[in-house]
Amino acid sequence: MEKVIIVRYCEIHLKGKNRGYFEKIFMMNLEKALVGIRHEIRKPSGRYIVENFDQTRTEEILEKLSRVFGTHTLSSAYKVPAELEMIYDTVKKIAPESGSFKVITNRANKSFPLNSMQLNAEIGGRLLQDFPNLTVDVHAPQHEICIDIRENGDALIFSGHIKGAGGMPVGTSGKGVLLLSGGIDSPVAGYMIAKRGMVLEALHFHSYPYTNMQAREKVEELARILSGYTGGMTLHVVSVTHIQEAIHKHCPAEMMITLLRRFMMRIAERLAEQVGGQCIITGESLGQVASQTIEGMTSSGSVVENLPILRPLVGFDKTEIIERAREIGTFETSIQPYEDCCTVFLPKHPLIRPKTEDVLRAEQKLDVEALLEEAMLSSETVRL
Amino acid sequence: MIYLDNAATTRPDEGAVRAAMHYLQEDFFNPSALYREGFAVHKELEEARRHILSFIAAPVGFDLIFTASGSEADNQALFCTANRGNIVTTAGEHAAIYNSAKELQKRGIEVRFAKLNGDGSVNADDLLSLVDSGTSLVSVIHVNNETGAVNPIAELAKQVKQKNRSALFHSDGVQAFGKIPFSLSSEIDLYTFSAHKIGGVRGAAGLVRKKSVNVHPLIYGGGQEKGLRSGTENLFAIKQFEFAATKKFAALESDYQKIAALNRYFRENLRGDIFEILSSPQASPYILSVSAKGLRGEVLLHMLDDEGVVVGTGSACSSKNRYSRVILACGIREKNADGVLRISFSVQNTMDEAERAVSIFNRCAGALAEKMR
Repeated sequence: MEKVIIVRYCEIHLKGKNRGYFEKIFMMNLEKALVGIRHEIRKPSGRYIVENFDQTRTEEILEKLSRVFGTHTLSSAYKVPAELEMIYDTVKKIAPESGSFKVITNRANKSFPLNSMQLNAEIGGRLLQDFPNLTVDVHAPQHEICIDIRENGDALIFSGHIKGAGGMPVGTSGKGVLLLSGGIDSPVAGYMIAKRGMVLEALHFHSYPYTNMQAREKVEELARILSGYTGGMTLHVVSVTHIQEAIHKHCPAEMMITLLRRFMMRIAERLAEQVGGQCIITGESLGQVASQTIEGMTSSGSVVENLPILRPLVGFDKTEIIERAREIGTFETSIQPYEDCCTVFLPKHPLIRPKTEDVLRAEQKLDVEALLEEAMLSSETVRL
Repeated sequence: MIYLDNAATTRPDEGAVRAAMHYLQEDFFNPSALYREGFAVHKELEEARRHILSFIAAPVGFDLIFTASGSEADNQALFCTANRGNIVTTAGEHAAIYNSAKELQKRGIEVRFAKLNGDGSVNADDLLSLVDSGTSLVSVIHVNNETGAVNPIAELAKQVKQKNRSALFHSDGVQAFGKIPFSLSSEIDLYTFSAHKIGGVRGAAGLVRKKSVNVHPLIYGGGQEKGLRSGTENLFAIKQFEFAATKKFAALESDYQKIAALNRYFRENLRGDIFEILSSPQASPYILSVSAKGLRGEVLLHMLDDEGVVVGTGSACSSKNRYSRVILACGIREKNADGVLRISFSVQNTMDEAERAVSIFNRCAGALAEKMR
């Protein structure tokens, strides 16, 4: 009797001729998640089976696999030859002592002597005899006992399903540049897009000496948490110190954020060109702060010439974003009190509805190209 | 690098480390063990206790509990003595006292915080007005760790006892021990100090207790330190502390004069149009708190760091915890509280370093002020 883990995937079955491509990438991502842990992954039809794995690390393996995008559900199962007595012996091991239950058989191997209904009845009947405190409830059972009779002559026996992260395998939907601040929103935005199968390269702006090293460490930690879902991540860290100093020196104080955001978007687009990114992802939510009004988004978005900007949180309330951040495990890190971008230069009353002509006029006082080039040269790359 | 954050921690004294190494490598035995090797190191431990205590107190009246940190000693002073009535402390305490007091408050003990004078010393009148017949403990920091203000603890303890004979008096002396001359008077019941502020390594600290004072353990276990602080003794750190302290106390006066000269050089040569000196002339010369007016201290700290000058700041660059609690309690306006830097000296600093550092201070602050205009 061998222990195995069954991994079921999400929407891949919707794919037609592309299915093989999706399955291959999903398999690669599962392998990547288990690097350093002894295991083998097989793919019989419609699911993945992890076997020969280090059983002392079963919980860890389940946790890691459940985070791989594309994973719908997981089950920890026993594998035995598809023979009635052996099946029942195994069922007894996982059966609850009391409460209601239901047996669910899935018979791919049609040569098994009993059909699904018959096997359900047989196993259910034996359980009722051996465990007097059990009752059958086929509609809303407390426990499900699942038996999969496979085509290769094996039976997989398990109880219950562990929910996976869902979504599409990372790598099946292109690549995007995520603007990753140290805040609550941007990691959630990144998570949501990565969940749809996109590879992320994160971009963080710092303003040392106005911001500190702890803030950067925090962003690295956020990227590390996200990389647990995406199977690794590259973080680019770019200094906007001189850009902010120049804006502060030459432009109206209330335009600091508006102009800075435009620089950030330009840098993001240039980085995307360098790394093959196909879009820019931000954690903006409409109206949340001064720079996230529709006018603010228009102003910052207008400098991006060739790429779409994805704002997956645009219609989310802060409380909804916080809820998600807690779910994905970034919240505790995000609320550490380090500033992610300089507040030294931030005006008391930032511009809420920047007008294009004012913005362009202010920007004329800056050598935008030279500042951008300098910022790009400051870029450091961290692989997580 | 010019290291001017000695109030945070000092470089361990090399000679003391060398002399103590054999307690790490050869005489590593457990002082509680019954064989002769264990007993031998037990004797060494007791010798260190007597010796370190003798620097500030008469061994007939006082005892010393070794702890692992000053914070631990402070916690023991607060949590393991005061458990009734009210306790009185100050707004200028180190976090180890301040946050312990806040925790006591949560547990239902009334805690009263005395106001500070502008230099960070406690307002004695306010302190005494808070002491009444229900006061079980008064805790006053000896040398304020942010401004260097020296509280006259002997005098304060005396006045506290005049108001309430049974109130215990504790002082956190972490920034005073081995730096300013004093010895414990009989009115002081409990006193905290720590090794790593005077060339010791981290892991050794102490709570001095008047023998008649009842203290409970904070850490229970094998009954070391007469049952008052369990845990196998860190003999290496304690002996290294003993050696470092011996050196420091032997040179207490001359070091004080030397440090005072460095301190004076900073006071006299930092640009007056940018820097406001917060520490009073009577403060411990080891700590000099300055405010770069209208600038943010942490930004200046980073610029100095890039130039090889390392200083401290009381406040972290964060929106939630922007200003130092102690600096605000001194009555400094928020605008200037933002720019506070703490320069703290050790005897290893030289006048040449002071000259170079002051020049870098002036240059960096000037450049930042220019950028922020």
